[in-house]
Amino acid sequence: MAEKKIRILLAQFPLENHNRGLIAVAGLLRDAGMEVILLGNAVSNRIIDTAIQEDVDVVGISTYCGGELALGKELMKVAEKKGIKDRTAFVLGGIFPPSDAPKLEAIGFSGTFPPSASREEIIAGVKAAAAAKK
Amino acid sequence: MAEKTTKEILKEKIKPGEHVPLYNPRAVEKLKGEFEKWQNTVVSKKDKDNWWVTPHTILGSDIPRELLYTPLSNTDLDYTRDLGFSGQEPYTRGIHTNMYRGRTFTMRQIFGAGSPEYINKRIKMLLEHGATGTNWALDLATVQMFDSDEPEALGQVATVGVPIDCVEDMEVICKDIPIDKVSNSIITHFPRNTAIIFPMFLVMAERRGVPWTELPGSVQNDFIMESLVRSAVEYIPPRDDFRIQCDNIEFIRKNVPKWNFVTLNGYNLREWGTSGVTEMAVALANAIDTLKDMIRRGHDCDWIAERLAFFWAPANDFMEEVARLRAVRRLWYKIMKYRFDATNPRSMWMRCHVQTSGVSLTREEPMNNIVRAAFHALAAVLGGAQSLHVDSYDEAYSVPSEEASILSLRTQQIIEAETQITQVVDPVGGSFYVEALTNEMERRILDELDELERRGGVVEAVTSGWLHNRVARFIEKEQRMIADGEIKVVGKNTYRAPDLKMPEIWVHEYDEKIAKQMRDKLASLRQRRNNEKASSAIEALIQACKKSDNVMQYTLECARADVTVGEMRRAFVKAFGSWKSPLYMA
Repeated sequence: MAEKKIRILLAQFPLENHNRGLIAVAGLLRDAGMEVILLGNAVSNRIIDTAIQEDVDVVGISTYCGGELALGKELMKVAEKKGIKDRTAFVLGGIFPPSDAPKLEAIGFSGTFPPSASREEIIAGVKAAAAAKK
Repeated sequence: MAEKTTKEILKEKIKPGEHVPLYNPRAVEKLKGEFEKWQNTVVSKKDKDNWWVTPHTILGSDIPRELLYTPLSNTDLDYTRDLGFSGQEPYTRGIHTNMYRGRTFTMRQIFGAGSPEYINKRIKMLLEHGATGTNWALDLATVQMFDSDEPEALGQVATVGVPIDCVEDMEVICKDIPIDKVSNSIITHFPRNTAIIFPMFLVMAERRGVPWTELPGSVQNDFIMESLVRSAVEYIPPRDDFRIQCDNIEFIRKNVPKWNFVTLNGYNLREWGTSGVTEMAVALANAIDTLKDMIRRGHDCDWIAERLAFFWAPANDFMEEVARLRAVRRLWYKIMKYRFDATNPRSMWMRCHVQTSGVSLTREEPMNNIVRAAFHALAAVLGGAQSLHVDSYDEAYSVPSEEASILSLRTQQIIEAETQITQVVDPVGGSFYVEALTNEMERRILDELDELERRGGVVEAVTSGWLHNRVARFIEKEQRMIADGEIKVVGKNTYRAPDLKMPEIWVHEYDEKIAKQMRDKLASLRQRRNNEKASSAIEALIQACKKSDNVMQYTLECARADVTVGEMRRAFVKAFGSWKSPLYMA
């Protein structure tokens, strides 16, 4: 039986002004057979509402400009409040200090991808994150 | 009848005139025979079959190259027509007669993450180390025009630049800096951002008693940055954004004569994801449409054009980077002379600031980035740039450390004081390869400009989403080529160390204390200021937007009334409504 396609929502925190990573990752996940929903910039409420509406398996955040811990915590709070934290996987990629990776995992991001992550690592990481929530 | 495109106008107006080829026809004939003989007898079959190769690089233009360039690659070369002398038409060899012997490139390093107080200290430190201009980055909230106390600003205050909410912050940043002597480049990317932040600088000068006529510096003010390149939660329609760009230009030109009122920004578009050809074509299209709008407003084109400046991103393809700076210099001259009938030579000068490519740097083995950035910088100087920023090696980790930004400044100083390439004007000019590639780049830039104009001009190409899609396709393709190893990146997919380790790199930490300080300052400002005066200044701004009054006169009044950045942003949205970027789902 064919595997069910993974649905992933790609978004950025509200003020992030770079989206090269978001577009590149959207392309490679689509090539890998996933259904990609490109939201772009949004506040946490809108990201979570869209994730519910689109019934996605994974929410992927792209960040370049720092502040990802504060914003990530807020996103998780909203996800918990709206009841999707347990069934949805969260991953994050972009420019962030290496020392933040374990902290991001501790607050609920099951995959973190620095700029050095390869295509294969990103695809495998998203698949693993989605599988863990099944 | 459709308006003629720039390419059509140039074709019509540039008369062939007397063509004096540099290489005499007899010599060319002889060379042709010798070349064929050499190719058939000496060059291997494999090399002959692969005479043209197409290099693939990050942000590359995929232009094929010959194995060897000779006068046969450019037999038509007419020295005075195509190259001329430095400081003379067509300015291929440089806009100044003595180039760097007369004045070295401005060493303008961006800096900025920290509180206004910290940035003030950092400016002083850079000036003490010999920097000749400043280049301040604004934090994300300020760039996106949100106040530090708006919910969207969470986690973003002072992370990648300095926060500015009101005139008082500007006063702190510039305290004891001789603003009439030091040239300040304030990176207000967007027209709206320029309309909001620059008046705060003017009001600060006013309060210090420094006349506006004495202020040197620049703002960016480019609608391409706002409507196309950046991502954001909120946009205004590109047409209105373009109008604000032109309003800003008009106001600054009239009132702050030493200030550069627009930096036509190819850089961020390129870094977002385009070739060096598209980068230049889009910036030229914006320049052309801006000048057309200024002429429509009744201004003389020279009055604006003499202070236009461009901003480019040199990446890895070294010779192409040198060639395209020369190419766009010649093309800009032709556009000004023949498309706009400019009479002031300064209008025909393609002046530019250059920042080395950040996207070309890697997280792996970050010290390699020092070498990459030095090559990018070398290309910029060989190409005749006026002003330079060298990216720091740690940019794939966070905003640069102090040590890394001093190293970037030192890279510039080594080029300037030690390599001696600044002693001779246009040192690569005359190379068979460089001249052929310069012609090729000019031809391709003009062709892409033509395509943009046929699509109704740059504002339409943005509004329709055509440029957004073009960039998205470029990024996706490039990502594939890097992943497949077709584009080689040393230390990443080529010559990768088997035991690659991530080094210890200093990273900028988010400091919640600064955010709190900014929030407290705003709360106190809203208590102290005359709120009635602030509200009526905001209302007047909204009305000015709806009419065709120059908006900067009104944002200036807002700044005088201590209106904040976020309050002005909301006034613009109220007046113009919001627009959805074509890149994202509905």
